[in-house]
Amino acid sequence: MSWIVAGLIIWALGLWANVRLSKRKGRVAALAVPVIFGLVLVFVWEAVVRGFGISPVLLPAPSVIAARFGQSSSVLWQDFVQTVLKGALTGYVLGCSAALLTAIVVDRFDFLRRGLLPVGNFVAALPIIGIAPILVMWFGFDWQSKAAVVVVMVFFPVLVNAVQGLSDTSAMQRDLMRTYAAGYWTSLWKLRLPAALPFIFNGLKIASTLALIGAIVAEFFGSPITGMGFRISTSVGLLQLDLVWAEIVVAALAGSAFYGGVALIERAATFWHPSQRGR
Amino acid sequence: MTKFTGWGIASALLLAAGGAQAADELTLQLKWVTQAQFAGYYVAAEKGFYEEEDLDVTIKPGGPDIAPVQVLLGGGADVMVDWLPSALAARENGAPIVNIAQPFKSSGLMLTCLKEHGIESPEDFPGHTLGTWFFGNELPLYSWMSKLGYATDGSEGGVTIQKINFNVDPLLQKQVECATTMTYNEYWQVIDAGLTPEDLVVFKYQDEGISTLEDGLYTTEENLADPEMTEKLVRFVRASMKGWKYAEENPDEAAEIVLENDETGAQTEKHQKRMMGEIAKLTAGSNGALDPADFTRTVEVLLSAGADPVITKDPGEAAWTHAITDEALK
Repeated sequence: MSWIVAGLIIWALGLWANVRLSKRKGRVAALAVPVIFGLVLVFVWEAVVRGFGISPVLLPAPSVIAARFGQSSSVLWQDFVQTVLKGALTGYVLGCSAALLTAIVVDRFDFLRRGLLPVGNFVAALPIIGIAPILVMWFGFDWQSKAAVVVVMVFFPVLVNAVQGLSDTSAMQRDLMRTYAAGYWTSLWKLRLPAALPFIFNGLKIASTLALIGAIVAEFFGSPITGMGFRISTSVGLLQLDLVWAEIVVAALAGSAFYGGVALIERAATFWHPSQRGR
Repeated sequence: MTKFTGWGIASALLLAAGGAQAADELTLQLKWVTQAQFAGYYVAAEKGFYEEEDLDVTIKPGGPDIAPVQVLLGGGADVMVDWLPSALAARENGAPIVNIAQPFKSSGLMLTCLKEHGIESPEDFPGHTLGTWFFGNELPLYSWMSKLGYATDGSEGGVTIQKINFNVDPLLQKQVECATTMTYNEYWQVIDAGLTPEDLVVFKYQDEGISTLEDGLYTTEENLADPEMTEKLVRFVRASMKGWKYAEENPDEAAEIVLENDETGAQTEKHQKRMMGEIAKLTAGSNGALDPADFTRTVEVLLSAGADPVITKDPGEAAWTHAITDEALK
């Protein structure tokens, strides 16, 4: 009972603090609001689990997950290297570079745009659980097949965004380049690629989360005995739910860091764009 | 609809509900999909053994992504079929589950290797890749390897363990040199794929002295503390064992009953009849009561798993009970 009361009090305090903080301006307040919200959420979770005596099989308390996190850090690190660094990042880099190069070719030749993009949309709609077992059979159990799944998953979002971005210049701007006597490559490099950057980064941000999901889910369909997807899918059978949740925490942290990293690069590369000004 | 027919339907529904209420409801969660491995329960349902005990039993098939113990603890089932190693691992992780009956006397687990890889005895394992299912099914293999003193991380002088899905493709495609198989199921998938018994080397866990108890019936401590529930469980175990012994004596009929209950339609008659024949060998010699010696051996095998033991302490007699079978077998 005391845990539930404590949870209610902390929730009320957090709410009060956030309402007051949100009226203020400035960096500190802007950072403090989400941090307080997150901490309150974790505390209320702990209070509810303890207060109502919820079975750890259904929902372990954050403190239990944290303890497991510390205890199994070597296993978690090994899984992180296997899934995120080897599987997801390799696939991401390969898939995104291939998509950007293809976008430039597709943009150059109109018949490719009209022929390839519909096929692209079709392939993008293929469910990952359908292609993952096939790719595992082709590329083996190790991380290579996970990278292949990621390539397939990230290729089309990036391609479609990049192609869209490359056509995002007005006739006036292109005419201006022509009056400067700029050829195809010069105007691509100086005008059209920079103009496409906001679109491309949109695709890259979408792909960053897709890459992680793809690498984890692909491990459900055959993997060596390491990796986040492997651990999540097999620990359930032994009721090591705290380990499953610890893996989920790692996945959430890795996914946020990945997305945040791409967003930071975007801000540096497209500082001139209206959406980035005044930040 | 007139008022009259409305009342008629309502009273008919009431009658039907009353009729169903007469029998006690009980839900059984299987470890795997509908197949002859669980013939005893389907036979008991089909032959009316449960009805005779005034039970209305629902049999829930399992599958690759279903952990029976989670269903049991989540309240989705009253009894589950599970292997003792995974049940004990779950118990150590905080699941208060107890073995109430053990219809399987022998273990059907084995490691099947292709002869062409030059594996003739357990001494030849180092340097090879052994495939196994996970989800708790990997535990016997890990304890075997640690008993043999082999590292399982692929290092020098050790073996590489590889997770495989529930089929024998990795063995056939040479992605693993040995694969975990059951005497009653996957072994025959290898044979059906065109290999002959002469192409294979088979290590039965039963023969290696490391067999662990498979396919027992488990419920929660909470259920056992409830006299009404234990009384229901007694009737359930009695009828189930009757089903098992009937299936043992009439394997072909039992296989037919399993096929009728297979909603997926994935099983074939040939496979199920063969499976039932093998299953009958494993249930032979068990009257349903757990043999404490078998339990102790299983615990010893699990505890011996070296640096990474499956369980860290002997759960003792709290993990099994004869309370149900003593009543049921009277």
